[in-house]
Amino acid sequence: MAQVEYKGKVFNLDEDGFIDSFDNWCPEWVQYVKESEGIQELTEEHWKIIHVLQDYYRKHGIAPMVRILTKVTGYKLKYIYELFPSGPGKGACKMAGLPKPTGCV
Amino acid sequence: MPFDPSDIMKDRITDIGPPKYDKFFPPVIKENYGKWKYHEILEPGVLVHVSETGAEVYTVRVGAARLLSVDLIRDICDIADKHCDGYVRWTTRNNIEFLVDDKAKLKPLIDELKSRGNWFPIGGTGASVTNVVHTQGWIHCHTPAIDASGIVKAVMDELFEYFGSHKLPAQVRISLACCLNMCGAVHCSDIAILGVHRKPPIIEHERVQNVCEIPLVIAACPTAAIKPKKVGDYKSVEINENRCMFCGNCYTMCPALPLADGEGDGIALWIGGKVSNSRVPPKFSKLAVPYIPNEPPRWPTTVQTIKKMLETYASDAKRYERIGEWIERIGWEKFFEKTGIEFRHEHIDDYRLAMTTWRTTTQFRF
Repeated sequence: MAQVEYKGKVFNLDEDGFIDSFDNWCPEWVQYVKESEGIQELTEEHWKIIHVLQDYYRKHGIAPMVRILTKVTGYKLKYIYELFPSGPGKGACKMAGLPKPTGCV
Repeated sequence: MPFDPSDIMKDRITDIGPPKYDKFFPPVIKENYGKWKYHEILEPGVLVHVSETGAEVYTVRVGAARLLSVDLIRDICDIADKHCDGYVRWTTRNNIEFLVDDKAKLKPLIDELKSRGNWFPIGGTGASVTNVVHTQGWIHCHTPAIDASGIVKAVMDELFEYFGSHKLPAQVRISLACCLNMCGAVHCSDIAILGVHRKPPIIEHERVQNVCEIPLVIAACPTAAIKPKKVGDYKSVEINENRCMFCGNCYTMCPALPLADGEGDGIALWIGGKVSNSRVPPKFSKLAVPYIPNEPPRWPTTVQTIKKMLETYASDAKRYERIGEWIERIGWEKFFEKTGIEFRHEHIDDYRLAMTTWRTTTQFRF
């Protein structure tokens, strides 16, 4: 497991750059990841998606389906891709500190 | 523009799809598209299609290992450049087809293919055993119970005489999937090789809550053997081993539930599926052998069992009869008797709609 240090915080990552535990998430993590995810500037809208994902994960123990994410945030999938170029899974879930998506992806 | 990691969206091209299929048509195919009158199989592996315009196209089909190096693809391109004006195609069973538009060009092409040792075996047409549709196995996947390429090589070596000949009553489709996700065609093939586990997953309690979405794990189980459980401070799951049938779905969803096991894992053989609508409707393949151990690198028991089933079918079935049709005509009890395969309790379906597979008639053979 790789370790990175950013602004005084230490993160443990897997080979795909997902954080080892949701409990170790902090706002600095989002700042650290944004560049590798092709995001220049974090906006309110980025944070809204991250907070929706985290709230849903805390409540239900899973990441929301894409249609739930679009419905709750009001952002169409196309716009989510504009905010997070790698998409809601690899981009937004990674930044929100959720576990890596599984299954035949 | 070179890719710029600091601005990944710059000059990005997307949603262009594959190139249009007819860009790569040989001229004779393009000119006669939709005008084909009839075709013949001249010899195993060699076809001719005749057009309404009188044009002819000769096809030579050769076997391929599916997993190919760039060097080998370049070799294939060299042959296509030399004999086929640079055109070549792949079939839906991963054979390679070289097309020529003149009978005079056929012999030099076949001679060239034959001169290259065993790299390009000609065959796979008509009532043959053509290529094996298979999966990733230990080459690349993380959920397999068996290997793919290795078993396919061992099986095709043993059945090679059936690839370049038309000795069988009908075509026999063999496929392989290395776990029961069944990527490919095992559920609908004449003979299917399937990787199975025989032990329940190991639960890595300290990892489950970090790398898995527990509700997904619970929902992944077809027999409802998994329930949430707190182990110490960890949120984890509990698996009822009496309900687990080792499908491995939960490992697909959750990396903390590995179940691969050297001695537990092995091969199940299935038989009698088909996808065509000819004569009888398409069929699912059914369980023939519940378990054969993994025996790398040549899997002798598996190979011999398949050969035995194939040869029994070849000697017993009527012309045009696929394996599934043959078994349905003679009855399953006769299939087990003729092939010498042991009938075991694992053969009897016990999943949900199992009742429909039991015998509800007095008709049977002693």
